[in-house]
Parts: sequence; C-alpha cells; structure tokens
Amino acid sequence: MTAPGRKRAWPTILALVLATLLLAVSGCGDLSNDELNRGVESLSALAAQGELVANGVARDATKTTYARAMARTLSEQAEHEAEKLADATLEEPETADQRHAAVAVAEEIAGLLSTLQTFPGDEHHAELVEKHLGEAGEKADAIVAQLSGDAP
Amino acid sequence: MRAILKIALGIIAAIGGFLDIGDLVFTTQAGALFRYDLLWAVVLGVVGIAVYAEMSGRVAAVSGRPVFDVIRMRMGFGMGLLALVASTIVNVLTLAAELGGIAIILELLFDAPYGMFVFAAAVALVVIVALLPFGGIERFFGYGGLLLFVVVATVFHQNPDWGEVGRGFIPSIDSSTLYLYFVVGVFAAALMPYEVHFYSSGAIEEGWTEENLKENRLNAIVGYGVGGILAVALVIVSGYLFHPLGVEPDNLGTVALPMQGAFGETGLLLALGGMLFCVGGAAIDSSFAASYNLAQFLGWEWGRYQGPRKAPRFTASWLVFLLLGIAIAESGINPVDITEYSVVLAVVALPLTYLPVLLIAGDRSFMDRYANGRIATFLGWLYFAVIVVLALAAIPLLLATNAGGG
Repeated sequence: MTAPGRKRAWPTILALVLATLLLAVSGCGDLSNDELNRGVESLSALAAQGELVANGVARDATKTTYARAMARTLSEQAEHEAEKLADATLEEPETADQRHAAVAVAEEIAGLLSTLQTFPGDEHHAELVEKHLGEAGEKADAIVAQLSGDAP
Repeated sequence: MRAILKIALGIIAAIGGFLDIGDLVFTTQAGALFRYDLLWAVVLGVVGIAVYAEMSGRVAAVSGRPVFDVIRMRMGFGMGLLALVASTIVNVLTLAAELGGIAIILELLFDAPYGMFVFAAAVALVVIVALLPFGGIERFFGYGGLLLFVVVATVFHQNPDWGEVGRGFIPSIDSSTLYLYFVVGVFAAALMPYEVHFYSSGAIEEGWTEENLKENRLNAIVGYGVGGILAVALVIVSGYLFHPLGVEPDNLGTVALPMQGAFGETGLLLALGGMLFCVGGAAIDSSFAASYNLAQFLGWEWGRYQGPRKAPRFTASWLVFLLLGIAIAESGINPVDITEYSVVLAVVALPLTYLPVLLIAGDRSFMDRYANGRIATFLGWLYFAVIVVLALAAIPLLLATNAGGG
C-alpha cells in the first residue's frame, strides 16, 4: 500500500530530476565567465581547423567537395557560436566588451569560411582566407587571455 | 595451404573491420585534447575486445550457441530481456550513427545533401547484403577498411617525438572529469557490445566447429591487435597535428585532415575511403547484431545463410532496425553526438553482455576441455572488474562533462 500523498509526490520528484538532468545536459542558464571563455576558445579551435582546410586548398592538396563541405560545416558552427554568445545573459556584466568582441570574431570566422565554401578550388582566395583565419584565431586567443586575466 | 590462406584472409578482414565511428571520433578527440596521454586506454580496450571476442567465438564454435542464446540461458528470461532491451537501444543508436557517418563521408566526397545520402547508404547496404554471401560481406568491408593504413603512414611522415609517444602507453590517471570521460569513451568504443554479438553469430553463420578454434584465436588476437594499431595511429596523428593548434575535432571530416596534410589529396581520399568502409562495415555489424539478438532471444530462425524465405522474421526485423536507424539519422541530430551517447550508454550495457560470456566460457561442464584456461580466466575477470567500474562511472561523467563538451 502506498500513502496517497506519497503517490502524488513521485511524478513531481521525477519531473524535478528530469528537469535537472535536462538543464545539466543542455547547459542552459546565465553565461558564466568560464562558459564565455570556453565559447571563445572554441572559436579559436574553429579558426585553426578552418586554417588547415584553407591550407589544403591553397596548396592544391585537397578535393573541392571536401573543402566546400568542411567550410560549410565550420561556418555554420561559427555562426551558431556567434548567436549563442549574442543571446546569452552574462553572469558577470563587466565581461560585456569581451562578449561583444567574441561575437564579432565569430562572425568574421563564419564570413571567411563562407568565402572558402564559395571558392573551394581557388588557391589565391584560400591563401587569403588562411591568413585572415590565423588573425581571427589570434584575436580569439587575446580575448581568452583577457577573460582569464593573462592579458598584458 | 588453403587453410592458412583462409586464416590470413580472416585476420585481414578483422583488421580492417575493427574501427567504427565511435573509435574514429573518440580516438581523434582523445589525441586532440590529451595528445598521447590516452594511448594506454586504447591498448586496454583492444586487449579487452580480443579477450572477449575469442571467448564468444570459442563458445559459439564449441556449443553452436551465439552470445545472446548464452545470455538467456545463463541469466534467465528477466535479465535476458533487460539485456535485450539495453543492447537493442545501443545497437539502433550505433546503427543510426554509422548511417549518419556514411552520409557525412559521402557528402565530403560528392557534396550533395546529407539527408539524401543517409537514404542512399541504407539502400546500398540492402543491395550489398542481398548480393553477397556472409563471408563476402565481411571481406568487402574489412579489406576496404585497410585503406586506413594511410593513418599509420602519416604517423611515420609526421615523425613525432617517439619518447613522448612511448610514455603515452604507460597508464596515468588525471583527476579531470574530461580525461576520465575520455578514458571511458576510448575503452567503451573498442568494446561495443555489437562486436561480440556479431562475432559469435558470425561464427555460427560460417559453420565454425572445434576445428576452427585456432582460426578464432588468431582472428581475435592478431586481427583485433593489428586493428588496434590503426586506433593508436589515429590518436598519434591527431595529437601531433590538432593538440598544439587547439583544434577540437567534432566533425567526422576533421579525422581525415592529418592525412591530407601529409599526403595531399591522395592521403585525403585514402582516409575518407577507409573510413567509409569501416563505418559501412560497422553499420552492417550493428544492424545484424540487433536482429541476431532479437531472433535468438525469441527463438526465431535466424542467419544470413538461411535467406529471407527460411528466416523471414529475422530478415523483417533487420529491415525494421534499418528503418529505425534511417529515422534517427534523418532527424537532424549530429551523428557524432549520437555516437558519443551510444558509446557511453553501451558501457552501461556491457556487464550484461560480457558476464554470461565469461561464465559460460569458464564452465567446464558446458565447455569441457575448451573452457577458459588460467590466462583467459584472469584476463576475463580483470576486464569484467574494469567494465563494472566504468559502467558505474559512465553516466555521471557524461553529465559532468556535458558529453565531452567540457
């Protein structure tokens, strides 16, 4: 026999547990400094990956279908990261400038990768994209340094 | 001479058929994040799958019973049903991830919509299964998977710091949850339950008896062992190229980048081709494993060798699982994400798969003189203890690391 009150409590407990798990998995809520840091680090990683793809095109050492599909995927990821950073509420409002700069870098990376997607067989374009992605990656690294207090 | 050739061909097929999308994803990410530090976990997983594959193949050859038959016989209906449900969920998720993986690779090679390629991949699998005999299917994908030896060539081309590589084989424990999550992932990716389900049922499909025990041992030890070299090579090339750049390889296409860097377009095409065959072979293995388990549990006629007329429910269930896999792969979820969840969930199902195999393989009243010897018993129980610990840690680590996202 189960007490009536206890019987009613189970669905609530289950719902709370599920909600907690979903929150844990989705990572919802305000954007902490650490999460902002990780977001910017992932931009640096995307730029580095894009540089490798662009380098393959610049050296004429890849297949255009591969370069185009990879550039598209990475560009979408950068755009998604830009949206995520722009939409989030900051836990520490004093990092607003870094967030703003990170969104700009994400958009820059997305744009450069879109160019690579449009010209996956053009060695000259790829050289420029590789160079600019390297610079965008450095900007992302600088933001990470500011967020972690390592900036000069 | 013919017997030796047959054994050699079996080993070659096992080498090429060792890697699946889970291995490709976890080993590449492990190298990118921790350089060579997780090489020991790869070796741990490879020895584990060789130990249990040998046991399950031996049980099948001696008793004529595949793994799932053994599970139901040893654990009873209730636990058997639990094992069936758990392994079916993992197998269908794995199948979906592999179908998605094939579609991504085809997209990289031919640049057409992903959704179309998921469907095309499934149709291609049906055609291959319909046209080729069981051994032919294994060899088709196994030999094709050997293209991935370009990864080993890339290691030598990169010429990493070999001392640093060597230190990676010494087990080390880092207290970070992300590191522990990748220990679980790399280990579990090597021991996915579908591998022993498929391996033991395949032994019945090919009519193995006690006479095939030497072939079984060589396939398991040499085949998986040399296949493990490919997994080790993936960690090294990824650690060498991606780790210093901070690249986080969460796309399947990124796995091929080191080979492009080393050998240009040829390296890229060999890597993508090898990945296509490996992932395709795993799609066949996981879909067959799902149908084998269901048919064996319910006592249906089963087996590719029987054909659709003699085993209609087995064939129908295979098609249903394939449709389920297509539906999940077409849902828009990234196959790499599906892979990560299926690998970690598989760890939870591992004890239900491996304990009955261990018990039966060591049972002298059942296996007679072919029961486990001292080494197999020791390794079997050692690995079972590792599996239990990892099964308990898997879900908390998945949640704590946001599925490896940090």
